[in-house]
Amino acid sequence: MNKPLNPSDLARPSECLCHIEPGELPPLPPPYEDFNQTAIPPLKPDKIKNIEASLDDTVAIGIPKPANKQEEEELVRRFLAGLQKLFEKNNNWTFLQPLMLSMEHCAKCQTCSDACPIYEMSGKKDIHRPMFRAEVLRRIYNKYLKPGGKITAKFTGDIDLNWTTIARLAELSYRCTLCRRCATVCPIGVDNGLINHEIRKLFSQEMGIAPKEIHDKGTVQHLRVGSTTGMTPAAAKDSMEFIQEEMEEITGSKVEVPWDVEGADILLLHNAGEMLAWPENVGAFAIIFQAAGLSWTLSSEAAGYDAVNYGLWYDDVQFSRVAVRHADIARRLKVKKIVVGECGHAHKALTVIADRLLTGDLNIPRESAMVTLEEIVLKGKIKLNPSRNNFPVTLHDPCNIVRAMGIVEPQRRILRKIAPKFREMTPHGVMNYCCGGGSGFAIMSGYNFAEWRNLVSSRKKFLQILEAFKDEPREVPKYVCAPCSNCKGAIRDIIGYYSAEERSRLYYGGLVELIVNAMADMKKPMIRFGDEPSWTS
Amino acid sequence: MPTVELSGKTYEVDEDGFLQELDKWNEEFAEAYAKEEDIEGTLTEEHWKIINYLRDYFQKFGIAPMIRKLCKDNGIDVKKLYELFPTGPAKGACKLAGLSKPTGCV
Repeated sequence: MNKPLNPSDLARPSECLCHIEPGELPPLPPPYEDFNQTAIPPLKPDKIKNIEASLDDTVAIGIPKPANKQEEEELVRRFLAGLQKLFEKNNNWTFLQPLMLSMEHCAKCQTCSDACPIYEMSGKKDIHRPMFRAEVLRRIYNKYLKPGGKITAKFTGDIDLNWTTIARLAELSYRCTLCRRCATVCPIGVDNGLINHEIRKLFSQEMGIAPKEIHDKGTVQHLRVGSTTGMTPAAAKDSMEFIQEEMEEITGSKVEVPWDVEGADILLLHNAGEMLAWPENVGAFAIIFQAAGLSWTLSSEAAGYDAVNYGLWYDDVQFSRVAVRHADIARRLKVKKIVVGECGHAHKALTVIADRLLTGDLNIPRESAMVTLEEIVLKGKIKLNPSRNNFPVTLHDPCNIVRAMGIVEPQRRILRKIAPKFREMTPHGVMNYCCGGGSGFAIMSGYNFAEWRNLVSSRKKFLQILEAFKDEPREVPKYVCAPCSNCKGAIRDIIGYYSAEERSRLYYGGLVELIVNAMADMKKPMIRFGDEPSWTS
Repeated sequence: MPTVELSGKTYEVDEDGFLQELDKWNEEFAEAYAKEEDIEGTLTEEHWKIINYLRDYFQKFGIAPMIRKLCKDNGIDVKKLYELFPTGPAKGACKLAGLSKPTGCV
C-alpha cells in the first residue's frame, strides 16, 4: 500500500517508515517474471538491534543507536552546528553557491521525481522523490537556523528536529546514487543531487557518520595503504606482472608495463579494483597504448596506482587529500598529462571537482581515456578487424563521464568503428540511467543492501539492457559495454542476481577489451562468453 | 561486534561473517566454519591447498590475489573453485582462510 509521506513524517518514530510490499516494484519482462513477487529480504532482528534501521527495508550505514538521551541531544546539536557550516563561505568553499541556489529556488514541481530511477523503481515511494530529502534539509534549516524560523515554519513547511529525523536523513542520503538525472531535467536548475551530497558531507565531516566501505575501508585505507583495495605498491606490481603474462598469451608477443617513468607523456591512472576484479581491462590499456606507440607510465607510489577518490561521494576533506596525492605524484613524475582510465567517479573527481583545488604546478592537464582512445582508434594508429566483434553490443553511459562531464561521443565513435552490431539503449547519453551502483552503492553490501540495490536501484538499468537486446535470440551472447569499474560491479551483480547469463546470455565488460578484441594482430580473443571464445582464427 | 561460536570457541566477525581478529585464525576455525559455507563433509586436501595459498599470499601482500591468479597458480578453473567453495572464492574461500572481506571497487 502506497501511503503518502511528508518530510515531517521523518520525525515521527516508528519501526519502519517506508516498506515495499512484494509486487509493488515495476514488473520485469519474460523470462524474469518469477522475480516480480520477490521481496527485499527482511533485515535480521539480531543484526539490527543496536543500529538505526527505521527508515525502510534496508540499511546502508548502520549508525549505532545512541546510549541515552544526552547522547541523542549532543548528536542533534552537532548536526545543527554542521548544518550551519554548510552555509558559510569559510567552511564550504567547494559547493556553497550551488547549494544556496538549490535551497532557495525549488518550486516543488516534481519534474525531478519522474526522472529519478530509484523513485520510479521503488514503486514511487515518496521518500525517494529527489526533492524529499532536500525538503527535509530545507525545513530544518529554515526552522532552526533562520531568525524567526519557528514561526514561519508553520506556513512554509514544518518539521521536528530530533534524533529520529537525523538518523533517517543520514540513511536516506544513501538511497540516492548522486546520478543527477534530476538536476538535468529541473526547469530552474535546482540540483537535488548536490543537496544530497551536502547532507552526506555534513554527516561525515561533522559527525563521523559514513558507510564503512567508502570511509574506513575506502578513503582512510586508500591514504594509509595506497589503495582502497588494500593493495600495497608491492601487491600492485605483483598483480600487474601476472596481468602482463596473461596479456602476452593474447597478443603472442611481449607486452610492456612501464612503471614510474619520469618525463613520460602520460600518467595512466586506473581504478585499482580493475587489477583485481577485471585484470583484462588494465591489460588491454597496456596493449593498446603500446601498439599506438604512446609514451606512458603507471605509478607504483602509494595512491598512484589507484585512481579512485571516494571522497567525491561524501567528504570534501577526504576528497582533497586524495586529489592532491594524485596530482602531486603526476607533478613529481613530470608527465605532460594524467589520463584517467575506465572509472567514472575518478573522472569527475580529478578532472572536474579537483579544478577547485589544484593550483600552480599541481594543476596538471587531465584527460579522459575516452578521448585518448578515440584518437588512437579513429586516426588509424592500430590495425583493426571489426568483424571479430560480430556480436550484439550496447553501451552503458557512466553518469560521471557522460552526464556530469558531457563526454558523450568519443566512446560512441569508437564503438561505431569497432562493433558492427552496436545499438543504443533508450534513453542514452546525458539522459541515460544510472547503473544503480553509483556513489559507492556498487561496493556497499552490508546487511541486505546488495539485494535492495539489485531489486530497486539497478532495476531500471536491467530493464534498459533487456530492452536494448529484445530482438536478439536468447542463445546469442550479448555484450554490455560499461566503461566504469563501479558500473561494471553493479552490472555484474544484476547479471548474477537475475541469472541473466543463463537466461539471456548477457555478458559485460569495458571499452578497451572490445578494442583489443578487434585488433587484427591478436593471436587470441580478449573477450570470452563463458567457455566460448568470441572469435576463432 | 557480532561473534560466531565454532567448536566451543568464540570469534569476532563482521556482519558478513569475516574474521576480525586475523591472528586468531587456526585450522579448527576453517574446519568448523566450512559447514556454514555449504561445504559438505570435512575439508579435503584440495580445499587446504587453496586455503594455504590464500593465507601465504595474504601474509605477503595484505590482500587476496585476483581469482584468475589463484586458479592459474593452483592449476584449477573457476568452475572447480566454485565446486570446492560453493559460496564463491571471496565469500567462501577467503572467509575460511581468515582473510578480511575484499574492499574497494572489486
